[in-house]
Amino acid sequence: METTKTRIAPDPRPPAIEIRRLTKDYPLGFGRWRLRAVDDLSLTVAPGQIYGVLGPNGSGKSTTLKVLLGLITPSAGECYLNGIRSDDPAARRAVGFLPEVPDFQRFLSGRELLRFHARLCGVPRVGRETRIAELIDQVGLKGAADRHLSTYSKGMIQRLGLAQALVHDPAVLILDEPTAGVDPLGAEAISALILDLKARGKTVLLCSHLLTQIEEICDRVAILHRGRLLAEGSLVGLLGQGDRQSLVIEPLAAEELADLREWLASRGRKILGVDSLPVRLDRFFSRAVTQAENEAGVKGAAGSLRP
Amino acid sequence: MNDSLPFSLGRVGVLAGNAFREAVRHHVFRFMTLFAVALILGCLGLGELNFGESEAKFIADFGQGALVLFGSILTIGTAVQWLGGDGEPRAVLTVLAKPLRRSEYVCGRFLGTWMVVLVFCALVTALLVGVLWTRTPAASVEAMHEAPLVGLGGVSLAGVAVAGALQAVKFGLLTAMVLLIASFAQTNLFALSVSALVLVICHLQYLARDSWQAGQGWIERLGGSLVGLVFPNFQLFGGGEWLEVGVGVSLVAAGRVAAYGLAYTAVFLVLAVWSFRRREI
Repeated sequence: METTKTRIAPDPRPPAIEIRRLTKDYPLGFGRWRLRAVDDLSLTVAPGQIYGVLGPNGSGKSTTLKVLLGLITPSAGECYLNGIRSDDPAARRAVGFLPEVPDFQRFLSGRELLRFHARLCGVPRVGRETRIAELIDQVGLKGAADRHLSTYSKGMIQRLGLAQALVHDPAVLILDEPTAGVDPLGAEAISALILDLKARGKTVLLCSHLLTQIEEICDRVAILHRGRLLAEGSLVGLLGQGDRQSLVIEPLAAEELADLREWLASRGRKILGVDSLPVRLDRFFSRAVTQAENEAGVKGAAGSLRP
Repeated sequence: MNDSLPFSLGRVGVLAGNAFREAVRHHVFRFMTLFAVALILGCLGLGELNFGESEAKFIADFGQGALVLFGSILTIGTAVQWLGGDGEPRAVLTVLAKPLRRSEYVCGRFLGTWMVVLVFCALVTALLVGVLWTRTPAASVEAMHEAPLVGLGGVSLAGVAVAGALQAVKFGLLTAMVLLIASFAQTNLFALSVSALVLVICHLQYLARDSWQAGQGWIERLGGSLVGLVFPNFQLFGGGEWLEVGVGVSLVAAGRVAAYGLAYTAVFLVLAVWSFRRREI
């Protein structure tokens, strides 16, 4: 019998993000002392992935992102965005960036700011206003779009920051703490938005302190510490399949549990522990607020953000 | 740096428009314009304090003073904010992360700031001309019908307009100098202080030039020549000599001063671009 081997064709596209042996030192004062923020870091993010970068404060996450965006110069090594060196402004044509705690010109309205960024990115005049209106709606700022940014809350500024990163429909998104200052409902909606972007073939590089968020949406993660790469890989690869399983079932009566133990014992298995599973606080919060909003008939409020 | 993105005047225009919109809505512009207008209108009631000058000459000098003082504050106050604030300039992070060259950013900020100052100069000069017109004796107005824009109460209207235009050129130069300082300053306070110091040096530059020409020792001459060359002479932009009727406005001389200002502006702008190119944000 003739056998055929199925070969997976290699992706002809260059990696969406490639960091090669990146080192970044910051000078300290006038002496020769230097602070090493990133130390010999290498990472590759394939197109279409959601890639999480984790690390405590001062681990070099933001510095790495800034080098990627050409905002600072590396001391050694190089970075590429879609195959173009990141110190070339042309590399940023297909990149959207949301910094950690963004800040904008306070005397502009949300719509004006998005229009400015859209024009800067060369979004064609035809369809520009429609795109801006869509984004405003998407990030839940419909009622505040024509107000000055000085009247925006921290969470609204964050959501506007996300909109400006998406305004030219980039293939790669670099998000530094996208849920900082956003309420749990907004954070959940941002996670949904990121998953929707992945479904549309976008690549997302995400820095976050929210481990749950990273775990829920990322395909791969890298853990940085003092500028060095501690671990890198897919979540399954890093966390492993484990040698235990959990079954989530409705509560059992004492005799039912005893029967189950007996049944498992007859097969050489045993129950290692029985816990009642609490509802996660974020899910409880989300359910309670959504219910309250539905009851009050609030529709399209500032808190609603949908993909 | 590996730049394959061509320089775009379109992006410079977008950046300039945004800088203009932002600055014109800022309190600094509103307050400086308000103060200048109040000072010019206020001098109408100070006719008795004219120190022996004609009332029109007194108003013209007062108006020029308001233009110079508040225009300088407006220029420094607006240009110094181009990196968005102290510490990490977060307001520019999202802009510089877009596909644009740093030189486009500097040029856009320069043009936007200069446009604001031009609007200020045009408003104050127009108001000054209007006030002079209202204070003109009827006889002078009749004379004006025969020779328009020649003079009102001993003050040349053309001279007022040319002096206003030269101040606008000077503020453009000051904008470029402040942008250069802000391109390496780590805090707004530093940029503000150094800019104010530079403004004073430029107004007193003629003293350095004098010591260069008449200095005895080589150190004095060298120091004088360096200050004289590095810092432009802001006294040249006064235009006060053309305010009086009869002196006659020399457009050639005014053009020469404007060319001097524009040449220095180009040099400082190139230096600001060079300095900002490697700035770590």
